[in-house]
Amino acid sequence: MTLIPTAISICDVLLLAHAGFGVTGCLAGVWVMVEALNARAENAGRIRAAAWLAAACMAGAWICGGYWYVHFYPAEKILILAGPWPFAHNVFMEVKEHLFFITGILALLLPVVARENLYANAIARRLVICVAGLIVVTGLAIEGAGAVIDHGVKVALLRSNGKEHRQ
Amino acid sequence: MNIATTGKASGLTAATKGFTLAAAVTVLFNTALSWAKDAYAPLQDFMKSLTGHHWTTHGLADLVVFAGLGIVFTRTKAVGMMDAGRLVGVLTASVAVAALGLVVWFAIH
Repeated sequence: MTLIPTAISICDVLLLAHAGFGVTGCLAGVWVMVEALNARAENAGRIRAAAWLAAACMAGAWICGGYWYVHFYPAEKILILAGPWPFAHNVFMEVKEHLFFITGILALLLPVVARENLYANAIARRLVICVAGLIVVTGLAIEGAGAVIDHGVKVALLRSNGKEHRQ
Repeated sequence: MNIATTGKASGLTAATKGFTLAAAVTVLFNTALSWAKDAYAPLQDFMKSLTGHHWTTHGLADLVVFAGLGIVFTRTKAVGMMDAGRLVGVLTASVAVAALGLVVWFAIH
């Protein structure tokens, strides 16, 4: 058996946990929407559990992503700004780091509104579907921005690596 | 008549109304604070001095505004009398304006 040496740092773990929590939070938002569209007395508990899952996941994404952003992102920012895709920071990271707060607030709101009896209240059902839908839309936009930022680092490294090879 | 079986109940609890309105105000506050600290460096420096990073302070400020306004609005009669149906539109419009405000600001700034 060949052992593959790995070098996974806390920085990598935090970044992947941030993205993983974010995707799971979005999926929980979709789960809430689907359950709310078919709201009955029998699935009221599941709706509330899914709403809490969305909130917990977004809180996890906030903490992991926040720690990573404050402690590890500055080095990547320098790379991005010196590379061919400076807009990956100037536009995408700037929007992402502030748009995330909107998703986070909506995720914290979701368990509050999901306490209503959705199967008996059309307005509450509409509100829960709206909040969950906004979490999904803004969450997916944030995930997409994360991919652009990652690519901004990649193209910067590829370019500097290419220069080294030519020398 | 049992509301649970008719599915015709309307209205929302005071907490739902209060925290939904608080979320709508908080997302707009979030965008306004983003603009302000980006345009006015001393504000960003002040926010950095509070927690070590402006982003950390920004997030905490959003949480305080959301929780604080949520509690206040829940206890406010005028909010309790708000048309529940309008809250969905208010929240959606606030999120759309706040998100678009961030994209436009950082795209052209």
